[in-house]
Amino acid sequence: MNEFTERQMKLTWRPPKASYDVVIVGAGGHGLATAYYLATRHGITNVAVFERGYIGSGNSGRNTTIIRANYGIPAAVRFYQRSVDLYRGLEEETDRWLMHQQKGILWMAHSEAAVRAERMRAKLNTEFGAETEFVGPRQVEELCPELDMSGGGRWPVLGASYHPQGATARHDRVVWALAEGAMERGAHVHQNTPVEGLILDGERVAGVRTAEGDIAAGAVVSAVGGHVSRLAAMAGLRLPIRTHRLQAFVTNHYRQQFGPIVASSELFFYASQTARGEMLLGAEIDPQPSFSYRSSHDFVQDVCRRALCLLPFMASLRVLRQWTGVCDMSPDYSPIMGRTGVDGFFITTGWGTWGFKAIPAGGEQMAELIASGETPELIAPFGLDRFARDRTMADRGSAGTH
Amino acid sequence: MTTLLVDGQPIEAHAGESLLLAMLRAGLHPTSGGCVCLGGDCPNCLVTVDGIAYTRSCQVKAEAGMRVTREHVGDEEPALLPDEGMSAGSAAPVRHVHCDTVVIGQGDSGREAEREAREAGLGVVTLDARDGQHVTGVYPGPLVVAADGGGRVLHVHPRREIVVATGAAEIQPVVPGSDLEGLVTARAAAELVAAGIDLGRAVVVGESPGELPSGSLAGHFPLGHGGWELVRFEGNGRVEAVVLRRHGDAGAAEERIECDTAILGLGRNPRNALARMASDLPVRVVGSAAAESELPPCPRDGTVCPCSGVTVADLDGVWERGFHEMELLKRATLAGTGTCQGGVCLPYLRSFLLERGGRLQPAFTARPLNRQLTVRELAAGAHTAVTARSPLHDEHLRLGARMDRAGGWWRPWTYGQQDDEYRSVRESVSLGDVSSLGKMAISGPDAEAFLERIVPTRVATIRPGRCRYVLMLDERAHLLDDGMLCRETEQSAGDRFFMTSTSGGSGFFELWLRDWAEAFGCDVRILNQTASLAAINVTGPQAARLLARAGARRLPAFGRHQHVRVASVDCRVVRLSFTGELSYELHHPAADARKLWRRLLEAGAGFGVQPHGLETLLRLRLEKGHIVIGQDTDYDSTPRRLAHEWAVNLNKGDFVGRRAILRTNKQPLDKRLVTLRTDDPPPPGTAEAPSAEGAAIHDGDRYAGYVTSDTGTTTGGATMLGWLYLDAEGRLPREVTVDGRPARRVDGPTYDPQGERARAAVDVASESPENVREFPVARLEASDLAAGAPAERPRLRRLEATRVSATPAALDALVERPPWPDTALAFRTAPDELLVTATPDFEVADDPHAIVERETAFSYVWLDGTTAERFLDRECEWRRPGARPALAQGEVAGLPAKLWFEDSRTLILTPAPYAAAFERRLTASLAEIDGDAA
Repeated sequence: MNEFTERQMKLTWRPPKASYDVVIVGAGGHGLATAYYLATRHGITNVAVFERGYIGSGNSGRNTTIIRANYGIPAAVRFYQRSVDLYRGLEEETDRWLMHQQKGILWMAHSEAAVRAERMRAKLNTEFGAETEFVGPRQVEELCPELDMSGGGRWPVLGASYHPQGATARHDRVVWALAEGAMERGAHVHQNTPVEGLILDGERVAGVRTAEGDIAAGAVVSAVGGHVSRLAAMAGLRLPIRTHRLQAFVTNHYRQQFGPIVASSELFFYASQTARGEMLLGAEIDPQPSFSYRSSHDFVQDVCRRALCLLPFMASLRVLRQWTGVCDMSPDYSPIMGRTGVDGFFITTGWGTWGFKAIPAGGEQMAELIASGETPELIAPFGLDRFARDRTMADRGSAGTH
Repeated sequence: MTTLLVDGQPIEAHAGESLLLAMLRAGLHPTSGGCVCLGGDCPNCLVTVDGIAYTRSCQVKAEAGMRVTREHVGDEEPALLPDEGMSAGSAAPVRHVHCDTVVIGQGDSGREAEREAREAGLGVVTLDARDGQHVTGVYPGPLVVAADGGGRVLHVHPRREIVVATGAAEIQPVVPGSDLEGLVTARAAAELVAAGIDLGRAVVVGESPGELPSGSLAGHFPLGHGGWELVRFEGNGRVEAVVLRRHGDAGAAEERIECDTAILGLGRNPRNALARMASDLPVRVVGSAAAESELPPCPRDGTVCPCSGVTVADLDGVWERGFHEMELLKRATLAGTGTCQGGVCLPYLRSFLLERGGRLQPAFTARPLNRQLTVRELAAGAHTAVTARSPLHDEHLRLGARMDRAGGWWRPWTYGQQDDEYRSVRESVSLGDVSSLGKMAISGPDAEAFLERIVPTRVATIRPGRCRYVLMLDERAHLLDDGMLCRETEQSAGDRFFMTSTSGGSGFFELWLRDWAEAFGCDVRILNQTASLAAINVTGPQAARLLARAGARRLPAFGRHQHVRVASVDCRVVRLSFTGELSYELHHPAADARKLWRRLLEAGAGFGVQPHGLETLLRLRLEKGHIVIGQDTDYDSTPRRLAHEWAVNLNKGDFVGRRAILRTNKQPLDKRLVTLRTDDPPPPGTAEAPSAEGAAIHDGDRYAGYVTSDTGTTTGGATMLGWLYLDAEGRLPREVTVDGRPARRVDGPTYDPQGERARAAVDVASESPENVREFPVARLEASDLAAGAPAERPRLRRLEATRVSATPAALDALVERPPWPDTALAFRTAPDELLVTATPDFEVADDPHAIVERETAFSYVWLDGTTAERFLDRECEWRRPGARPALAQGEVAGLPAKLWFEDSRTLILTPAPYAAAFERRLTASLAEIDGDAA
């Protein structure tokens, strides 16, 4: 008997129709959330989500499941705080156990410069609704007694910004619950059905081409991760996106004991314990662009070494499994959501290393845009046209690691 | 016999046998039950050994004194997190092995592959789990990572091929009762019998293990067509009977055969995870690892995945609810995500999905780690990033400085009294260590044209002896870095420039310049002098007098630079100002830094000179409105947003970022970095207000931006920098609030707005001669490396040498007829760069633009050949050259190094800012090697 086996959700598969009001490309978190909120908030259910693999097979199933809102610019803080709030209610709303755990995130500083940066982060975040406070070493130790406060003698913990609403949730379950919620209201999800082309009607995108045939659509939404540039090119768009690998790994599972999520932007790693008990570690993206899903040893090697500086108890834990996702990085480290300038074609991309935590808010806002035809205020700053308009949303708070 | 402890009770083990055998011999099952395979393929023998949980007891040798706990016996809870681990410094040792072919597995097919490779004259490394060599993964490189069975980690680097000869695992039973004790696979049974362990009365199901002791066989039941199928095991904790029925007849009567042990020959599943995770590497799979999996019958009941406790009912449940893909089945049940990574469940998941869905699905993705090493073992060979040290590091410590990491360097944060430091700059004179600035010498026929395309200011108008503040922009016109650009000589005399970057940008600076030089096809020489030159900023109203007392006979005017001998040290003195006071930046050879620093303190004693730290500097510059890259700027900071249009000249030719500026200038401005001033004292009852960095700025009720830098409010008020958004009418508000307190936007700096202090006229000659100190001139001597002998205790020493940047052809000609003494060593470190242990008193005949400079950026140590080899085996991942002598460059012990191999000794050079770390790593590594040898 295993308490973590999924026992509630029901996925209903239906054959594709020749035409839908809305076709969403990519059945990851963002694609499915868009379908879910179209169905639940706007009653739009003549919707299909096409997926080249299985649902959640891209980055939705490869991330490190962290939910937080302590970003670096006001527009981002507001947007991610909306997502944090939606996540908190999502178990109740869907009546599904998503293993959502609010555990707080500590962002540690090992230098005076970093102390200043974390103090600044705390102030800016609190100002815009994401409660964050700067805490001194004594409080850090209380929140996470496992830390070696001397940082192995080399990376002393001088303080941290503490964001108590930091949380984790089981990534797969979030994907499935959104799929189920959309499906039970009539939306279709088609697995193993890659979108091979866009159907253009003059200047307008009017459907998608799949192995199952051409599908007409009132609106097409790209919620693709990884190869988004290829799909956008079919609509004649060039995206300011570069794709990089991001790796992570887990240890075997151990009894629940490790409280918060801890992160260090100077040592470039972060760690948390999953609901199942694994210690989950991640770090920054690979510097060079790549579409590869291949994991590397030097990543594990290096992150283990960094982790030992702060969490020496980990020395005798065994690492179980490592994996890789690919991150679509925008030049300003902020997502791209909204219209594209091509009629009938919407996009949600640039989810870099912050896609999972944005799933509910991203889906909710995209659904509102499609349903109302108006770009909601919360995501207005994140449109694709911002690059041409010189209104980029540079965010050092997200350029970190997760 | 050896004795070890299991759950606190001593048991005896035969020499060399596995922990599992010792436990079974003692009548102890390692877990609460389950079929034992002895092959490392299942989770049924996991124990905690010496604090390390999830250890396969069949794969470790029983050793005297081992402390074993059986975590899982009668306990559904997973293992506890350990209270403490080994100390942070204790990553496991690593050994790098280079070969042509690595063969993983030493069964028949593995030995055959090894023999073939050896006959073909190839260098072969073999790894075998029975020798404790557990391979965790096959990675790009190619790289094969394995434990070596002796507490060490192997990194095997095969040049040609990886042969996977890992054989096959035995299929485990999935029926009710498969979690009882007393179940063994056929191969395990044979091993147990050979080890003399009594199995009691045994029933064999499926393939036979071979000979069993006479009288012990209670029955043999072949499986499949014409034979039997397994229904369940019965027993209470331990198996008492096997229940079977005739194959293919669900209505057939069950047969119940009593036994003490059930021996299960249920078929083979290839151990091909390593091959699957390495699909596009040069991997060859041989023997039974290459075979197709034998699919067991679709499971009807029982536990499919013992690691995660997933039953057939669980599979049915998720199948019925629409989870039909292999990966979804795995993720929904968590089958296959435990220690054995699908070793037990994968064949059953496939047969389950085949029966339910009518389609044979491939195995789920194989990912490292194939065998779980500990974090300590995995960290083997890794070093955390090192923070560079200024040549004045020890001087700061001596003066009681608190050092802090900033921009990749250790910098003095404060020497104790921030206010005193501040006052000494503003009122008298102070020293600041700015050695961490990026420093680059640039020359060549295209030097001016090249720099015109790099920086947005006009370079042509910078005359020799002048310098100018410059921005570095990216193609989007976002500010990357800033610095100063000095022109040294005219085009006719080599057209030489000297350029600085910020400390944080110094690592990137050279790459940036070289990349563009390459992209533009410019004929330039570039020499990175960041580590070679130290820099001291002498700043304050008495700065010129201090320098005069230290023997400076002349000093440059504002915006100019000059070569001046100060305190008998040759310096490039640059006069600009970051602090707002009269300032001279003294760039000089790093080897002379300590001497110069001490002499300046001595010469300035009469002015009460004292050094200032970074904390003070950040306050000083803020009062002048100078930005700090990374603190006040972001990835979208254009010169216009930063109010730095004055540093951009759009009326010259193209430069990096120009097109973006022209494009974005057509868009209305949205925000601007502004200086804010509040004259209000801190709130009543407090000496100072907390820093407003990060605070929102409001224009009435409108959110209008946020603060990026704040001096902190004292009785004199506060100065801040912040991003301010234009209002709906496109205007910047004048009066705003910060944290509810009123603040005023000011134009220009709040301190000395006209810049009179920084630009003050000085007269060096007026310093009265009796105040001028005489300092002895040190004679420069190149390090005599030829005479260098390997030291007893390796100490790194600073190298005195010369570095040349010139065209490859000119360097070829130079080394053909070297102008330096025979005893000097010359290293060609790049096609256009030469490092030679001689004094810089020669010219490069074939290249008038060559840069020949004294080079003190490196530290060196000689090691004897054997010591060097052993050290490098451990700390150098790449393949070293075989020839002697030879130069090689790369990372050693996690730091950049140049290696010069002679027959019986090896020279190691590393950048001086990392020398202390290198010496520490070298010493620790050699101590471990000595320990190993002992």
